[in-house]
Amino acid sequence: MPLAGIGGIPTRSEVIRAHKSAGGGIAAVFPIHSPRALLRAFGLLPVEVWGPPHVDVSHGAAHLQPYVCSIVRNALSFVLAGGLDVADVLVVPHACDSLQGLGSILIDFVRPRQTVLPFYPPRGTRPSDFDYLTAELRALYTRLQAVTGLTPSGETLRDGITREEDADRVLTLLHDLRRGLGLNSAEFYTLARSREYLPAEVFSAIARQALERPPVPAPSGLPVLLSGIVPEPAGVLEAFDRIGATIVADDFACSGRRLYPPGRDPDPFRRMAEGLLGGPPDPTRGSPIAERLRRLIALSRRSGARGVIFYTLKFCEPELFDLPSLRGGLQRAGLPTTSVEVDLSEGLPEQVQTRLEAFLEMIA
Amino acid sequence: MSAGAAARYHTGVAFGRAALRLQRLRSEIRPARSPSEHLGPPLRLAPRTKELVARHWLEGRYANPHRKVAWVTSGAPVELLKALGFYVVYPENHAAICGTARVAVSIASEAEARGYSRDLCSYARTDLGAAFSGKTPVGRLPRPDLLLACTNICQTVLFWYRVLAEHFGAPLLLIDTPFVYYDVAPPHAIDYVRRQLEDAVPLAERIAGRRLVDADLRRVARLSKQASELWMEVMQRNRHRPAPISAIDQFIQMAPIVEMRGDAVTVDFYADLLREVDERIRDGVAAVRLERHRLLWDNLPIWYRLRYLGETLGAQGVVLAASTYTNAWGELAPLIDPDQPLESAARTYLYPILNRSTGHKLKTMLAMAQDYALDGVILHSDRSCKPYSMGQMDQRDRLIREHGLPALLLEADHNDTRCFNEEQASSRLAAFLEMLEARP
Ligand code: SF4
Ligand code: SF4
Repeated sequence: MPLAGIGGIPTRSEVIRAHKSAGGGIAAVFPIHSPRALLRAFGLLPVEVWGPPHVDVSHGAAHLQPYVCSIVRNALSFVLAGGLDVADVLVVPHACDSLQGLGSILIDFVRPRQTVLPFYPPRGTRPSDFDYLTAELRALYTRLQAVTGLTPSGETLRDGITREEDADRVLTLLHDLRRGLGLNSAEFYTLARSREYLPAEVFSAIARQALERPPVPAPSGLPVLLSGIVPEPAGVLEAFDRIGATIVADDFACSGRRLYPPGRDPDPFRRMAEGLLGGPPDPTRGSPIAERLRRLIALSRRSGARGVIFYTLKFCEPELFDLPSLRGGLQRAGLPTTSVEVDLSEGLPEQVQTRLEAFLEMIA
Repeated sequence: MSAGAAARYHTGVAFGRAALRLQRLRSEIRPARSPSEHLGPPLRLAPRTKELVARHWLEGRYANPHRKVAWVTSGAPVELLKALGFYVVYPENHAAICGTARVAVSIASEAEARGYSRDLCSYARTDLGAAFSGKTPVGRLPRPDLLLACTNICQTVLFWYRVLAEHFGAPLLLIDTPFVYYDVAPPHAIDYVRRQLEDAVPLAERIAGRRLVDADLRRVARLSKQASELWMEVMQRNRHRPAPISAIDQFIQMAPIVEMRGDAVTVDFYADLLREVDERIRDGVAAVRLERHRLLWDNLPIWYRLRYLGETLGAQGVVLAASTYTNAWGELAPLIDPDQPLESAARTYLYPILNRSTGHKLKTMLAMAQDYALDGVILHSDRSCKPYSMGQMDQRDRLIREHGLPALLLEADHNDTRCFNEEQASSRLAAFLEMLEARP
C-alpha cells in the first residue's frame, strides 16, 4: 500500500516471493513473542501469522472446539487450507493455553510438511527466567541447525540482532511520534505492522522515511488508546477514523506490547533474552496487572488519550482476566474506558461501532 | 500471632471436629442406601471422606491469623509449604465443592457482575466470586498470606492468580513449568523448575516465619508419595471385572489426594479405602450391579451432574472404570523421591498430563483402555478447560478410526450449569450407549 510520501511498502506475498527467489527460506511465526534475529541467522525470514482474518474457518473446525479464540482457529484453518505452504518451518511460541493447544495439535495430529518448532518463553523476569530463556534460545538454535543444516556464527547472530534492535528502535519512535506522521490509523498500522514480515533492515529504511518527513499537525479526531491483541478484522481502523477517533497509542499484543529495548550482553543468546524479557508488560509473560495499569496510565498521559478502548478477542483469557482490574484502575485515574469484543472472522459488528460511537460521544 | 487467635483457632477446630465426628458416626450407624437399583452400595468409607474434607475446611475457617495461609493451584509443589506449616487452600477444590453443591453459578455471578467474562474458566470465576463476595458453602475462606501458582495445569491459573494477588495484596510465587511438547522435558526446563523451587524457599520461609527443615520436607514428600501410590492402587483395582469403584466415586474420593497431599491422615485414609475396595472385590460388590460395558472418562467431571451420569450409565450396565483425571493424581508417584525432594519435584511437577502434549494424552488413553479392558471413551469437551479439551477432536477420531474404540465427545462445562444442555447430552449419550450395545 503506497503511503503518501513514503516509498511503497511491499506486500507479504511480494516479500515472500523475493526472499524465496533469492534462495532464502520462510518461517511462519505465530503470536506473540519470538526471536526474529535467530531465525534470520538461519536464512529464514520470519513472517508472522496473526489469524489471519480472511480464511475459511471450516478447516479448523474439524480440530478445534468452538470455544477456542479466532487467532488460533484461523491460524490452523490457514495452515490446513495451504495458506502457509510457502513456509519452510512453522514457529509456535507459547503464550496461552490456546497457542499451546495449537502447537501440540500441529505436532501430534496435523503433522504438516514443515517442521513445527515450539518455543516456550518464561512467565517472569527473574534471573531464573532469564537463564532459562537463554537456554531455550540455544535449544531452538540446535533445532534450527538440524532443520536447515546451517551453523551460523556468533558474528552472524550479532549482526542480525543489531538489525532487529535497530528496527525495534525505529518502531518505538514510530509509536512515540505517530501523531505528527500525517498518517491515518489504517496507514499507521500498515506501516507499523509491516514489521511482522519485512526484513528488519527494509522495515527500518521505510519507517525512517516516514520519520524524516517534516512533522504535520496532529489529526483532529478524539485521541484514544487501544488495548487488545490485534487491530483486526479489516475495516476496524477505517471505522475508527470514520467515527472521529484517532488512535494515539496502543497496547496491542501485536504492536505496542512488542517494543523491545536493545540488549547489552555480548553473548548473542543472552542478548536476545534481554530484549524479549525487556518488552512492555504483557499478561502472557506473567507481568503483574499493576505494571500493566501503570503503563496504560503513563501511555495515556503521554499521548493525550482521552479514553481507553479495550478491543478484545472472544475467548482470549489473558486479556479477559485483566480487563476488570485495568478498567477499574483507569477509571480511578480519571480515564474513561470501554470494552468491545470481536471475532477475527466476523467483520466489525454494527453494535460494536455503535458502542464505540457512544463512547466517543461520552468522552468528547 | 496473638494468644487470642490461637485460642479461637483451637477451640473452634476442636468443637467443629467433635460435631463432624458425631455427624459421621450417625451416618455410619444408618448407612446410605444405593441411589439406584442399578448401582452397587455406596462406599462404607464415604462418611469419613466427608468428615475429612469438612475438617480441612473447618481449619481454614479459623486459620487467620493463627496460621499462615497459602492459596495454591492443584498441581503446585505443595510439599514445600506443608513442610513450613502453611494451611493450604485449593481454590479449584473449593470451586468443585461449589459445583457439586450447585452454588457455583450464583457465586461465579459475583465475579461476572464485576466484569469477569463468562468465557473464563468456571473454576476461576467461582473462586473470584467467592473471594469478592465471601460466599462459600464451607463457612469461610481464610485470606491468603501467599499465593502459589504453578503453570503445569494451565496458563489460566497464572492469569487468575495475578487477579488474586491484586485483590488480596498477597505475594504471588510462580513456578513456571514449560509445556512438554515431546516425550521428555529438555534438561534446561527441568533445571529451570528446580531453580524456581529453590528460589521459592526464602520467600516462603519469610512468610512462614521459620526455616525450612530438610527432614520435614522429606517427611512431607514421603507422605505425598505414599498417598499417591495408595490412590493409584485403589484405581488399579478396577482392572478387576466388575469394577469395584467407579470413576464417579473416584471423583469424590480424590479430594484428599488433592487438598491434603503430604498429610499423614491422607495416607491412612487411602490405606483404608484400598482395604475396602479389596473387600468389595472379595465379596463380589460391583460399582454397577450388572456391568456390561466399561468406559474411560476424559477431562474434569461435570460436578453438578455426577449423580445423573452415574445413574444413566448404570441403568445401561455401563461403568466408568477409569478416568484420565483421577489417574493424574496417582501416575506421578514413582517420580517422587523423598530423599531428593526438590530435585525430584522439578521432574514430578513438569509431567502432569495437562503439561504434556495432546499426543501423549492419546497414548495415555490407549494405555488405560488396554490396562482396564475398556470398551470406549467419553471425552468431556469442557468449555472451561482449554488445555484439557484442545486435541480431543483429533483424539476421538484416532480412537475410533485407528484403534476401533467407540468414543463420544460430550459438550459441557465442569462447573457452569448454564453451559450444559441436558436434553442434548442425554440424546448423545443414549445414541452412544445404543451403539455400544449393538457392538458384537
Ligand atoms: S487471542 Fe488470546 S487466547 Fe488467542 S492466541 Fe492470542 S493470547 Fe491466546
Ligand atoms: S479447569 Fe482447566 S483451565 Fe480451569 S484451572 Fe483447571 S486446568 Fe486450568
